[in-house]
Parts: sequence; structure tokens; C-alpha cells
Amino acid sequence: MLQKLKIATVILSIIVPLASSAQERIILLNEGNWQADNGKITYFEDGKVVSNQWFRDVNGYKLGDTPNDIIAVNDNLIAIAINWSNIVQFITPEGKAVAATEDVPNNRKLASDGDFVYISSYGHECKVGDRFVDFEKGFVAKIDVSTFKVIAATEVGYEPEGIAYYKGHLFVANTGGYAFQEPHEYETTVSIIDAETMTVTRTVDTKQINLYGKMSQSGKYLCINSPGDYYEVPAAAIIFDCEAALDGKPDEKCFVTLPYAATYNCVTLDGNFYAIGSRYSYYTGEYTFNYVTLDPETVMETEGAAGVDEDFPGNVLADLKKLGMPYGLYINPYTGYIYATDAGGFVEGGTLYQWSPEGKLLGKFGVYINPAHFLALKPDNYSGISDEIIVEQSEDAPIYNLQGIRVSAPAPGSIYIRNGKKFIYLP
Amino acid sequence: MKTTSLRLLCVHICMLTGVSFADCVSAQATEAPDSIIQLNEVTVSAAPRKLATVQELAGPELQALSTTSIADALKYFAGVQIKDYGGLGGLKTINVRSLGAQHVGVYIDGVRITNAQNGTVDLGKFSLSTLESVSLYNANKLDACQSASEYASGATVYLRTRRPTADSLSLTGRWASFHTYMGRVNAQFSRKGWSGFIDGEYLNSKGDYPFRYKSEYEDTVGRRKNSDIEYGRVEAALFRNGFSSHLYYYQSERGCPGGIVRRLSDKYTNVGREWDRDLFAQASYNRMFAEKYELKANLKYAHEYLRYCTDYPENQNTAKVDNHYRQHDAFASVAGAWFPTDWLSVNIAYDMRMSWLDADLKRFSPVRREDQKAVVASQINYRSLRVAASVLYQHYKDHTRLKVGAADPLSRFTPSVSLGYTLKDFTFRAWYKTIFRAPTLNDLYYTQAGNRNLKPEYTRQFDLGAEYRFAAPHWLVSVQADAYINHIDDRIVCLPIKGTYTWSMMNYGKTFCRGLNMTASGRYLTGDWNFSLLTSLTWQRDLNRTDPENENSYNKPICYSPTLSFGITGIAAWKNYSLTVSELHVGERMWSYADPEDVLKPYNNVDLKLTAAVSKFLVSLEVNDLFDVQYEHIPRYPMPGRNFRLTFTVTF
Repeated sequence: MLQKLKIATVILSIIVPLASSAQERIILLNEGNWQADNGKITYFEDGKVVSNQWFRDVNGYKLGDTPNDIIAVNDNLIAIAINWSNIVQFITPEGKAVAATEDVPNNRKLASDGDFVYISSYGHECKVGDRFVDFEKGFVAKIDVSTFKVIAATEVGYEPEGIAYYKGHLFVANTGGYAFQEPHEYETTVSIIDAETMTVTRTVDTKQINLYGKMSQSGKYLCINSPGDYYEVPAAAIIFDCEAALDGKPDEKCFVTLPYAATYNCVTLDGNFYAIGSRYSYYTGEYTFNYVTLDPETVMETEGAAGVDEDFPGNVLADLKKLGMPYGLYINPYTGYIYATDAGGFVEGGTLYQWSPEGKLLGKFGVYINPAHFLALKPDNYSGISDEIIVEQSEDAPIYNLQGIRVSAPAPGSIYIRNGKKFIYLP
Repeated sequence: MKTTSLRLLCVHICMLTGVSFADCVSAQATEAPDSIIQLNEVTVSAAPRKLATVQELAGPELQALSTTSIADALKYFAGVQIKDYGGLGGLKTINVRSLGAQHVGVYIDGVRITNAQNGTVDLGKFSLSTLESVSLYNANKLDACQSASEYASGATVYLRTRRPTADSLSLTGRWASFHTYMGRVNAQFSRKGWSGFIDGEYLNSKGDYPFRYKSEYEDTVGRRKNSDIEYGRVEAALFRNGFSSHLYYYQSERGCPGGIVRRLSDKYTNVGREWDRDLFAQASYNRMFAEKYELKANLKYAHEYLRYCTDYPENQNTAKVDNHYRQHDAFASVAGAWFPTDWLSVNIAYDMRMSWLDADLKRFSPVRREDQKAVVASQINYRSLRVAASVLYQHYKDHTRLKVGAADPLSRFTPSVSLGYTLKDFTFRAWYKTIFRAPTLNDLYYTQAGNRNLKPEYTRQFDLGAEYRFAAPHWLVSVQADAYINHIDDRIVCLPIKGTYTWSMMNYGKTFCRGLNMTASGRYLTGDWNFSLLTSLTWQRDLNRTDPENENSYNKPICYSPTLSFGITGIAAWKNYSLTVSELHVGERMWSYADPEDVLKPYNNVDLKLTAAVSKFLVSLEVNDLFDVQYEHIPRYPMPGRNFRLTFTVTF
């Protein structure tokens, strides 16, 4: 096993033939129209859309209504949260359905540590094992992917949304998003759960309401969007330091709030965030757009005084500004290719945009209605990373495992990827 | 003049095709409790033919169709699309010539049924049983003396209440598929110039009809859930000459079923339930003075209560709401007409409406709307030539303490003009009308969606039509055809706000429609036999002209709009027995531009109705959707397939 290698520097120099192997493989969830049962998966490979109904092609039946999130659980398993169908669907990277559960109704967002899937839910009921558990507020469920059963569920705030796994803990952004219809108020907190025991160990108050929508993770940093209440409270982006929260630092040292909307956000290969969105108020009917790049480390160090830029590569910024209705933003963690979607007028199929890592627009591709959520599959012959394995001491660039999933707590002696190079981690 | 044969025909069979026939006959006599055919005095007046494009179903013909609500009757008209979420409890609205439901005004005895909150009328709430006729006018009705609000919608549906001509008491009981039971009592009188009725109806239906979705990637069978309805309706009316009044109360509880989507079991249903309490009282007075002046006045008060609740354990998918909405609406109108010569008339009218809306939504305060309308209209009827022109002025002003503030007052003038020329049995007509719909209170103020800066949604309609009618002692034939062009600008729609996760009402979208509406009908009467054939056909091409840059949608057909639809109804009657067969075809409708598979399949619905009247008893058996065709108006909202209705009525 490679992990067992103890030599200081090994040059494997294996040049893998690239012929007939897919490099750029993207799964894109099209949400479809609400209650029309037309959620669809686009499978995109090396510059062309293979199918806009990939799940149906592979499995012979439909995916369901409003797929809302997709993650890789491990090399062989992908989880999809299908919100209005109340289904968590498990598929292989080839698209084949392997299991599905409805035990987590009104499911929202997913996280995983490779063995378990953690999923946030706006619902008030969860089937844990064979019994139903009720919750006053929302909850996070833990699904064992060896049995596809929920083995634990924990109450958090009202309407929990974004969820991330870091060092054995789950970081859950609470929205309270039903506050405009239900008697409770908006939430302002991030709940931290010990993933092993599924107990809430800490709740950090960000003082910013409605932590809703896409949440990206870059190592120990999270980029959390708050749309505000669309009336008095404007949208904001929160950079959250998971490490600080686990270290027990006071709430206000755990995050920095920035006056930008991060409606669509993603993480770059060098560990920064892209955040685009608009701040809107029903009072004025006006909205202000922003397209920003955020360096989380600088933002945290300077408490937001620096680290915010418009540093998009090549033509990406100019192209993004032309989108009629931006609906998704993503960077392939294996290759650095940049993606965005435009939902257009909502009755026609959306458009997928692809840029090279340098920011050159490579193409526009017709997809389906409301294309929103991305997952990159590992390239067939993973050539984006040099096969030279080095051993070095820790530095601050983000670390990925060989599946390209960001790793925040690397295990000593294991092989990881940093700055595009494989290395053996020694703390 | 009076002609016996024509009279019989008129009474038996007023027209689907309308204009000529319905107009030349003032058939005050077709009163008939639930299709018992009674022949009474009919006056055939020499009034010239109407200029308007109209289709009408009246009298026994209306009763001969297999219908439960007004929506069922209107679907036989050319140019009409029904939007129906399925089942008895589902919301039913109509769309005429693709203008959109909110451009269709529905009037009971000349007074508009309004809903300041959302601007649409659920046609399922109104029964046909008390109606004399249902008519659809494109653009204006063009009576010499009309209220201003009658000029204020793109298309108008007129419901005319039946005026009793004899005393009677009738009891009706109905059993129908999907656990549906209905009972009705009708008492009416007519004496000393006064007439009136009281009509009460109760219905209870589980609405649990089976459905099936079958395709190469799906075979879903199930029964519709949460599609039940229970309602009670009481109506009373009183008439004397030019005076008419109407009291209406409706109360219901119904389930609001959702779309059929992939689920692993039936454990979770997205339960919403709705309670309605609607009340209105209206009175009208109409009188001629000195044969040169006509005066018409209307008064109306309406109250609507709506409760919508989603707080049920089976619903895990939405916010748990329990909202109550209350509306009050007061309306007064006065219209005067002056006939200076026998070929000229002038109509001046003023309407005032006040609406109040309150709801226990968050961030909501009561809203009050003043809606004033005034119209000046004139008609020239010189030999074979007819000209009508009108200018309508509308002024809307809202008052609210909502922090967002009331919308700016809205004042607009809109014109319309019609031309007609009659040559022997042919009449040719052309008309133009511009009208807008003001944003509703929901459009402007609804929490987390309302947009107080909305502009009105405008429609411009052009129509060129011709009709022909032929009457012989045993024959009556009528054909009409209208070609039309509509433009709709600044459509009011709910769309996501760019770069956010929230939605708002916006003015977005232009539509360009071209179409052809045709109706043809024929009647033949011999001995005890009576045959009629009514047909209607709609061809339309509605194009999305919203965004020339968007090659995926620009100039593509409007979603949900079929290119071709038609209806054929045949009625054969012998003495007191009748058989009606109707066939309705609705062509393919696309519902998104994203995938050629995103279409609603064309469907054919065949309905049968068999009626027998024996002394005091009337029995009817209806079979709807005879061939059990599975179809939809909205994707994933299946409509009921084959179903039966058996109705007994006894009249004293």
C-alpha cells in the first residue's frame, strides 16, 4: 500500500496513457419545476453533454422532484438529496441507483466522512432505525451507507441548511427560513455536532439571520450565505473558521461577516471562495450585484478589511455578468475547470458554461430546467496531479484526498494532494 | 312577429354559436327546473343582430350537457382553455384566447364577481342549476346601456339567472363516482309580476379517483388523495320587471392536492386544506324613460373568507401555515343611455368599487383599494351598418400601512371600437380593443413576493369575423368564424429575483397570439323529434415574444396553449327523452421549452347524458370520459377518468 511507504521522496514517474479516458466528468442536478416531478441529472464529459436525463437513461425511471444537493460519499457512492420527493438517493459514479430512503423528509443538504452521510432537514419527523422521532425544530440525520438506514438524528435550529464535515464534527447553518410564514423568528446560529455521538457540542451565534443556501468549504473555512430577510436586513457572506470554533474561541472570533451576497459560491483550487449574488430589498425593489473572490485566511486575519477581491481568472467575471439568471457556480476540484449555470427564463432549459482554469470560455451547453448543483467525478486516469510524491511539513494550502475531496484533518502518513502535487502528510 | 316553428327551435335550442339567434329571441320563457322541457311564450323581436363576438349556451341545451359547474359548460366554447387542477375540489379557471385567467371577467346578471386579492374567479363555486344562460363575449357585450366595469375585461362571461314563470318545488338527489353525493332543493314562485327562488345545494365528495401514469420510464398507479370537497350553497333571487336581486352564500372545505411526484410510499402527502365562505348580495334596477332614456343601477356587497392550512403531520415539506384572509367589497354603478334618434345611442356610466383585504400574514397590514371607472360609449345602427366605440377611464388607488407603502395611483384611458355590416344572411364584423388588468393586491403586497412597482398588464385585441345564419321552418343553421390577433405586454408573473433565492412579482413577458375561432350549429325539428349538432373549433398560434436574445424561447409557442382544439355535441330528443353525446378534443400542449418530451398529450373526452322525464320525475344518467382517457391540464395533476352520475329530480 502506498500509505505504508516510508521513503522520503519517491518518484514513481508513471506516465499513464491518456487515450480514451474521460478527464472532465461533471454531474449536474437540474432541479426542474416544483411539483412537476422533472428533476433531471445532466452528465457532462469532456466538452459534451452525454445526457440531460442520465438517471433515467441508466435506471429506467425518473429521479424525482427538486433534487437539492449531491455529494461523493466515497469512490463508489454518490448521495443525492431529492427534496420534494423526500428521498435520499444513492447512486454509483456510473449513475446506477443502489439505494433510496424516505426516512429523512424535506431533506436539504449533504455531508459525508466516507462512511456516513449527514443530512440536514426542515422536517419535524425522522425515522431512526424502526421508530419515528419528532423534532420541534429541524434536525440532522446520520445515514450508515453500509445499511442505508438512519442510525441517529439530532435536533438543531429551525430549518437547518448547509452542512459541512470537519475534524469529526458537523457544522450546520440554521436558517429559520420559514420565519416569514411560521411563528418563530429567523435563526442566526451555526450548530456544531460531534459526528460520532451526534450531540450538539456548541452553537455559534453569527448575529446574522437566515444562513440559507449554498455553503462551500475550504479546509477549515466555510463560506455561508445569508440572504437576510429581503426587507430590513441585507444579504451577507460569512467566513466561518471551524478550527477556531473547535478550539473554543469566543463566538465573535469564529467568523467574519462581509457585506456581500454569496447566493452562489464555490471553492477554488487554491482554497479561496468565489461568491456571486445580489442583495435585494422588497422595500425598494432594488438589488445590488456583487461578484467577489474571498481569501478566507486574509479575511479572518484582517476581520474583513482585506481578502475581498474581484480576482476571477481570464474572462470569467465578464462572462458571469452576462448571465441572465445565474443559478449555480462550481470549480472542478480535480482539474480547476470553472462552471456556471444560467436558468434563463425558467421554462426553457438552462445553460451550462465551462471555462478553462485560466478563465477562457470553452463552451455553452444546453441542459435542463434550473441547473443548480454540481459534482465532479474523478478523471479516469487522474492526470491532473503529478505522480511525484513528496514528503513535506504542513503548510497552509488546502489539502485534498485522492478522491479530490477537501480534507481538513489529514491523517499522518497518508497521501494527499496539495498545490496539485501528491505528498505524504507528516504533521 | 311570431313564428311558431322558429319559436320552438329557439326555446329548445338556444345557441352555442350565439349571436344571431340568442339575440333575436328574448326567450324569457325557457324557465325549466333542471331540464324539464317546458314551452312558453317566446317573443322574437326585430332587434338587429349584435355586433359582439358571442357564444351562448342556454335553456335545455345547457341542461342537456353533462356539466356540474360553469367551467364544464364553458369548455365547449371556441377559444376557451380550462385550467383545472383536477377533481371536484380543484381550482377551475378559464383562459380566453390565451389572454390569461385574470383578463376574463365573470358577471352574474351584469355585476362582476371580483376577487381583489388574486383577480381570478374559481368557476367551480358557481352552479349551473339556477342559470338561464352562459355566454362568452370576446371584448365587449355592447348593450346600449352598460356599466363601466362591463367594458373593463378582455373577455366576459355572462351568467344570467333564470327568472321563474311558475310556482314549483323540486328536490334533486345525485349519486356519482368517487363517493360523491349531492342534494338540492329549489323553490320558486311567480305571481303578480314578482318572481323569485330559493335554491339550496349540498355536496360531499371524497374525490378519490384512480389515476395512472404510464410511459417507458414510469408506471404509476394510485388514487388521488386530499382531493375531497364538501360544500353548501344557498341562493335566493327576487325579480320584478326591471328590478332583480340576488343573494348568494357558499361555504366549503376542500383538500388541495399536490402534483403526483416520485415518492417511495404514501406516507407523506403535501396536505393543504382550504375553507371558503363567500357571501354576496346584489340588486339591479333598469328602466326606460320616455323611450329615449335608459337608466341602470347596480349595488353589490361581497364578503370572502378564506382559510388555508398546511399544519398537518403528513405534510413535512412546507412551512406550517394557518392563514386567514378576509375581503369586503362594496360596489355601486350607474349607467345611462340616451337614444336621440333610432339609429344612435350614447352610453355614459360610472362605477365605484371599494375593496378591503386583511390577512394574518407576517409583515402584512390591511389594504384598501378604491377602483373607479367611467365610460363614454356610442353606437350607430344605420341600415346595415353598425359602429360602436367606447373610451373607458379607470382609476385605482390603494391605501395601506404596510411599510413598503401603497402602489402609486393608476389612471388610464383605454379605447375600443367595433364595426359591423349585415348583408342578407351574412354579417361581417371587425373590432379592436385595448384593456389592461391592474395588479391585484396579492401581486402588489403579498409578503415576500409582492412588488408595489408593478405596471398594469396590457392586452390589445384585433378581431375580424363573419357569421351566417339560415332559418327555414324545420331547419336552423348558423356558422360563425373569427380570426384574431392579440398582443399581451408586461405580463405579471412571479419570478426569482436575479442573484437571490427569493421570488417576486414582475412585469415580464410579451405574447403574440393569432387564432381562429369557429362555431357551427344546426338544428332540425320534425314531429316529436328534435336534433341538434353544435360544434366549435379553435386554432391558435400563441408565440412567446419576451426576449429576442433568448433563442430557446423566443417565438416559441406559449406553454399550455394547444394549437388545435374542438368540440362536437349532438343532441337527439324525442318527446321527453333526450340523449346527448359530446366529444371534446384538446391538442398537444407543451409545458416547457426544455425538452420535446415536456408536453401534455392530446386527449379526447367523450361524455354521454341520457335524460328521461316521466310525469313529475326526471332521471338522468351521465357517463363522463366514456373511454377512460387519462389526461392533464397541469403536468402531474391527473384528471379523473371515466365516471358516472345518476340524478333524480322530482318537481311539484
